[in-house]
Amino acid sequence: MRLSLIIICIALFSTFISAQSEEDLKGRKAPNFKLTDLNGKFVELNKETGNGPILLSFWATWCKPCLEEMSEFNRIYSQYKDKGFKLLAISTDAEKTVAKVKPYIKSKGYDFPVLFDTNSDVARKYYAQQMPYTVMLDKNGNIVYSHLGYMKGDEIKVEKLLLELLEK
Amino acid sequence: MKTTVYYHIIILIIIFSSTLYSQSDSWFLLPDGLGISNQLEYSYNIDNKIEIFENWLTLDYNKNIFNAGLRFEAFQPNDPDPSISRGKVRYADIAYKYFAVDIGDIEQGISITAGNFYELFGRGMILKSYEDRNIRIDNNLLGVKVKANYMGFLLSALTGSASNAVNERKDILHAADLSYNGLDFVKLGTTFASNKPDIENMARTTLASFRIQPSYWNFDGYAEYAFKSNKDIQSQVFNNDKWKIGEAFYGSLIFYYDMFSIVGEYKHYDNFAFTSNDGTIFYNTSPSLRKEYTYQLLNRHPSPLDQSNEDGFAVEVNYNISDETSLTTNYGVTKTLPTSSYFQRVNNISIPVSTQLQEFYFQATHNWNESFTTIVAFGYNEELSTNTKNITPILENKFYFDDINTIKVVLEHQQTENLTTSEKYYDDVIGIEYLRSPGFNVSLVTEIQTKEPEQGRIVRKLWSFIQFGYKLGNHSDLSLLIGSRQAGNICIGGICRFEPAFQGIELKLLTRL
Repeated sequence: MRLSLIIICIALFSTFISAQSEEDLKGRKAPNFKLTDLNGKFVELNKETGNGPILLSFWATWCKPCLEEMSEFNRIYSQYKDKGFKLLAISTDAEKTVAKVKPYIKSKGYDFPVLFDTNSDVARKYYAQQMPYTVMLDKNGNIVYSHLGYMKGDEIKVEKLLLELLEK
Repeated sequence: MKTTVYYHIIILIIIFSSTLYSQSDSWFLLPDGLGISNQLEYSYNIDNKIEIFENWLTLDYNKNIFNAGLRFEAFQPNDPDPSISRGKVRYADIAYKYFAVDIGDIEQGISITAGNFYELFGRGMILKSYEDRNIRIDNNLLGVKVKANYMGFLLSALTGSASNAVNERKDILHAADLSYNGLDFVKLGTTFASNKPDIENMARTTLASFRIQPSYWNFDGYAEYAFKSNKDIQSQVFNNDKWKIGEAFYGSLIFYYDMFSIVGEYKHYDNFAFTSNDGTIFYNTSPSLRKEYTYQLLNRHPSPLDQSNEDGFAVEVNYNISDETSLTTNYGVTKTLPTSSYFQRVNNISIPVSTQLQEFYFQATHNWNESFTTIVAFGYNEELSTNTKNITPILENKFYFDDINTIKVVLEHQQTENLTTSEKYYDDVIGIEYLRSPGFNVSLVTEIQTKEPEQGRIVRKLWSFIQFGYKLGNHSDLSLLIGSRQAGNICIGGICRFEPAFQGIELKLLTRL
């Protein structure tokens, strides 16, 4: 009986949370982070905000949907980077696969910043329990959208949201 | 049984009803700076009538330079596997809590964390404290961590204690890492760690390492050498003739040019597992040099990482022939160490070198047009822990009907030969998945295992499940599995967890704000 009450409470809580629309939740400040890029230089989120929307894309080389999604994000990045849009691809590859990140990015010719989150410290701050995980920030560094997983078509919503943010 | 059915129905009604009002005007806003996530996993195994309920609720709050948070875990009833339950049938507690202050920026700054924390130094050869719920590993440290950066230097120092197999924090770990990132062509680092056992007069185990990360033109390298010492073992086993009782080396070299890249990695881990005194907490996880697979059957005979007794290499080549076609191939060999190794001398054994793992993988991906993609893959491995040889061809096709609808069909076949019993058998997996962006997917996965224990007598076993994935509103993801699943290992980074065969329902709900 006690267990069933706990389950029902948690399910109700989750339901309640899921019922909040994006508009309601707009404004939560994105947690700051400091990570190194492919060249070993530190990048801090707080220093990147202020000019335009930022897309944080949590991914890993072993995750097939992540690689599909990245190809779509690269297209969006190429199209809107001159309008102030930034893409930070945060690799969660751990010690086993981290050596494969740079070769993969270079062989694909991607030129957006790729950051290393080797122990998933930043992924944990953003609740990225599974990959891929996408977070969109407005120009003030507030989280306006998050999405778990990737299937073809998910990038349409991201692009639409990006256009709205660029117009603001 | 009747009660169980009732609350299954109640949960499903509650969850699905959320979609009815998920777009309505809200009357609630979270306080600024507060973040919440919840992960619920529930399963009921019809065969053995085992029910497992696991829930992780995380709250984080940040305000200016201050951060604080906690994680409440409830496992009631817990997984009966002792490596997961840690001796507790029912468990509900705040398992993780922290308070942190973060001052400064990337040029000059300091952060202090008190409470529970995770940390990784270098590539994890000396310290990797982390959580991975998929394999139910959480070796968080309870203590204090300080990080300071100045002019390209980063210093991390910590003291903490991790939970052992019976959920007690006994040994104390001290560790520090210093790295320098100020130069473009090379990065340097050094790590030190020491474990103080809970027993008085017992010697500490101490590890240290040096690492270098050069970069020149289209080449990148990484090399780390580490050693381990323990005065008790040095005196008992080596009569103080040796100043170390174990050593490790990991190196990688990368080359990329245009659409081509190659990664070569080498490892040598000799008596280098860094554990608590009771041997149940692993502080380090060195790079395992095993290929990480996304297909089901390729993970069926995994080779677990043994940081005390491994020597080997792996090479991976990627080549994008065009925008439509790409190739990946990987080859790796891991062997055990010779009798002269620290591992064999410390354990007083004499076992010749044997091949722990040999694996080869090839994958070709081709986009025929905008609506059709094919992946052809082939895997071969010989693995010592199950003593099997496995040949696995795979075919995957994806059909994109329009911008948001996809059908994926995966066919996997695996021929296995048990080298101990000479038994041969094969497995076939057929997976069909329909995906509709952004909120729905359903997949049907069937596995058939065919064995011939005696000539002419064929025995077939069948497992089949259907799985639904659904986005509830904007912040929750629901997954529901109904059916049966073959037993197998879940392996991440060479660390494996055995999942027994399952028949029943499994529900997962991820929520985050």
